[in-house]
Amino acid sequence: MKGLDHLPWYRRPGVTISLFLAPALFFFALYVLAPIPVSFYYSLFRWDGIGERVFIGFQNWRELTQDPIFWRALKNNVTLVVISILVQLPMGIALALLLTSRFRWRKLLKTIYVLPYLMSAVAIGMLWRYIYEPTFGLLNMFLEAIGRSNWILDWLGDPKVVLYSVINAINWQFIPFYMLLFMAALVGIPDELYEAAKIDGASAWKVFWTITLPLLWPTVTNAAILSLVGSLKYFDLIHVLSGGGPSHASELMATYMYKRSFQHFRMGYGSTVAVALFTIGFVLSMVFLRATRCREYEGGGKR
Amino acid sequence: MLKRATMCLFVISLLLGMSLGVYAQDINLTLWHIHTNVGAAQNTIQDAIRRFETDYPNVKIEEVQIINDEYKTKLMIAMGANDEPDIFMSWGGGPLETYISAGKVWDMTDALVEEGIYDNFLPVALDLGSVGDRVYGVPITNMVAALVFYRTDIFENLNLDIPTTYTELLEVMAVLNDNNITPFALANANKWTGSMYYMYLADRIGGPEAFYKAMMRTDGGSFASEAFIKAGEYLQELVKNNAFPRGFQSMDEDLAQSRNLLYTDRAAMYLMGSWAWGTIKAENESLLEKLDFFVFPGVDGGLGDPSNLVGTPGDNYFSVAQKCEHKEYAIKFLGYLSDENAVEMLIANGHIPPFGEDIGSKIDDPMMKKLYQAVSGSDAVQLWYDQSLPPELAQVHLDTTQALFGLEMTPEEAAQTMEEAARRYHGEN
Amino acid sequence: MIQKSLKHLGLYIFAAAWFLISFYPFVFMVITSLKGRMEFLIKPVWAFPEQFLYTNYIRVIEGGFFRFFFNSVSVSVISVSIIILVSSLASYIISRVRFRLSSLVYGVFVAGMMIPIHITLIPVYNLTRALGIYDSLAALVGPYVAFSLPISVFVLVGFMRDIPLELEEAAVMDGASRMQIYTKVVMPLSKPALSTVAIYSFILLWNEFIYALVLLTSKHNWNLTMGLWNFHGQYSIDIPLIMATLTLAALPLILIYFFLQEQVIRGMTTGALKG
Repeated sequence: MKGLDHLPWYRRPGVTISLFLAPALFFFALYVLAPIPVSFYYSLFRWDGIGERVFIGFQNWRELTQDPIFWRALKNNVTLVVISILVQLPMGIALALLLTSRFRWRKLLKTIYVLPYLMSAVAIGMLWRYIYEPTFGLLNMFLEAIGRSNWILDWLGDPKVVLYSVINAINWQFIPFYMLLFMAALVGIPDELYEAAKIDGASAWKVFWTITLPLLWPTVTNAAILSLVGSLKYFDLIHVLSGGGPSHASELMATYMYKRSFQHFRMGYGSTVAVALFTIGFVLSMVFLRATRCREYEGGGKR
Repeated sequence: MLKRATMCLFVISLLLGMSLGVYAQDINLTLWHIHTNVGAAQNTIQDAIRRFETDYPNVKIEEVQIINDEYKTKLMIAMGANDEPDIFMSWGGGPLETYISAGKVWDMTDALVEEGIYDNFLPVALDLGSVGDRVYGVPITNMVAALVFYRTDIFENLNLDIPTTYTELLEVMAVLNDNNITPFALANANKWTGSMYYMYLADRIGGPEAFYKAMMRTDGGSFASEAFIKAGEYLQELVKNNAFPRGFQSMDEDLAQSRNLLYTDRAAMYLMGSWAWGTIKAENESLLEKLDFFVFPGVDGGLGDPSNLVGTPGDNYFSVAQKCEHKEYAIKFLGYLSDENAVEMLIANGHIPPFGEDIGSKIDDPMMKKLYQAVSGSDAVQLWYDQSLPPELAQVHLDTTQALFGLEMTPEEAAQTMEEAARRYHGEN
Repeated sequence: MIQKSLKHLGLYIFAAAWFLISFYPFVFMVITSLKGRMEFLIKPVWAFPEQFLYTNYIRVIEGGFFRFFFNSVSVSVISVSIIILVSSLASYIISRVRFRLSSLVYGVFVAGMMIPIHITLIPVYNLTRALGIYDSLAALVGPYVAFSLPISVFVLVGFMRDIPLELEEAAVMDGASRMQIYTKVVMPLSKPALSTVAIYSFILLWNEFIYALVLLTSKHNWNLTMGLWNFHGQYSIDIPLIMATLTLAALPLILIYFFLQEQVIRGMTTGALKG
């Protein structure tokens, strides 16, 4: 490479690189990175948000390890992760297959199926509240009309049921998102591959397992990571629909953190929960990423 | 290209934002309260603002209504950042003391006297907004007792009498259930709604002393004492005898999910603060003809007097922030909130203002008179637990009570949990 | 033959069932929004409105709907523009220029996806106050841009890496600067991925709730979700009115989607996350 001295300063590589990266790093550092150590710092205090901050060392952290509600929230988060991945992804793939096939009404269906994704979580929460309403709600009225009132459950009031009711609404919200993701990937699969399989007389089922799914796999792992991360930090819909209750039965780490800091005014402990949530999410995603990436390289994945 | 467009947009929006943000007013006072629903309190507050702004055209009061569930959060965040509103509402008691000890609230005792509005308020009601004899918050809007409102037409049709004892209550419930009518319209996602049942049962069984001793930690008082365990047992008996609607644990009082049952003939009774009269008046006035109330029944062999009430002498307390720059106007505004006009307005909308001794003479409506007599007539009014307990213990009380309703805890467990929390709070271990 | 038609039948049932599940709640929402308050409580939920009551919509609009709508539009448009600019600049460098810290920078951005918004709420609140922009629409732009960056950089870097190197080399031969390569070569070629980023972040920000909840107070600054949330509290007794609010709030995105469906789907799919 020629000497760089003849270049004006603003065209030197290091300077250019920095200038291009600077705006993004600025926003990112200010609003995403810096708050993490700050939150950890807050977690060492007892602080009601108004009065004085009292340094208490790791007392909040000790309390966290013995806090049954936190562990329950974590368990609920894990349930949410598992169900999300097991329901949203397969449903997304199935719907994407349907819409990329030569199915007759796919145009109309494509329009309709995407609708839930366009609504805000707040709106969805409010809407589902009136679907689950015990007396005037859509679901119970429907069950009564078809003579199945014995199927009626206390959708949002029974601690054994509420988590699944809420997850159901979350699935409703996110399946269209994964459908779009998989549609994108399916469109990218060249037709020749299918035609070759057709000539070989392979059944549709076999084509799916031997051609479609392997080619889709990188998208599947990406989707799984998105789902994992999204589920671990999920908040909006639960906040509106059940508020984490009753008796913390649908509590998630994020709603618990919000509750402790902003409703019970324990900012220090809330920050502890936030940092724990961050750490758990980060470690889990990294492990997951490692595992899937390795497999992908072995299998000669795309990149 | 893209960049230029972005910059333009940014600049335009900044200018827009600025032009909208600037008002040509000399003095601005912000006021926060929770009355998002049209009704007595909201009408009164807005009327007071109108009258105040007419008399003081140089002052503008910016009213911010925040829904109940978010209110404490918003207020706390604002205080944490020294950005609290000039005038704000609270429920007095424990939470207000937290704000006071953080130095956020103005001691307005002297100013109240100077402005001549100190005597607007009932002394008992002022207590909850005071520390010692210094006043930090004045009671506006309502004197409250929890009463059982009931549908007179349903009771007549089924030949039911008002239950005066717990046993009679169970009988009434059985008849109602046989006729597919839910006995009580209860929405317990909010927790304080269910807490009313628990407070009444504990009072009827152990008398007001049981709670007082447990709270003050005197005379061997304990939240694990028999009165509280028994209250839990009776409560769960009510649940098991279908006293409450399907799904009541997830229903939201703020969304009127309870009252909707009352309006559609699906439920017959409604244990609620006496403000319900005003709420129902605003929501469904024609129902008032078919509505009456009684005091929560006694428990056979209980120590409590069945005429005791649970409630509060003042529901909403309005305070002025320590950092408010125009306290002289803020205090004048509090005068407008509690003057003759406000009294008339509150009464006309179904509330009983906690002002002065002669309120009774200003009430014409017979049902309102009856309500006033019930609320002001009792010797012992037990203050809501969640207002008299420190916030941390109030939370435990609300949580354990909700768990009792859900049959997730035994009465012993709930009482024990509450007692342990109290011991921890008072450092008794 | 029979097997084939059976298979078809299965497909139709599946398609129809999902059609009902994803569409019926919307029907329920719209039908209810046209009813009277007591009518909703007394009649079955699926009953058609006795007469179409447009008054609910009028009340929502009079409650300041357009103000909130306008706020949402300006915040979303400004934030998305900045996101596009900032993330494409960074992604270009990360994907196409070799430098020592490249993979570290990329890793840090992508790891940002795993950071829950909530850990930043209190610090960001304090920061916003210190900047003197609390309770203004400008308060939302910073966090919105920052939290859309990870996914945007992820998508853009993935896409830009696949742009053939020859195109850039040709430009270098002509003596183009980095900036010129970025504006003249990379950006035009990245349009599909840029539209993906724009659409995804627009939907995300249009519907954002928690920052708006914490950073905005005054009514004239509320965005649509805040307006929605407060209507919910204010008119809770009137379920049809709430449904009218929900319908109106959902309408803008749905309309955009109806009219630009092909472009939106193409935008969402061509540049989307690949392996």
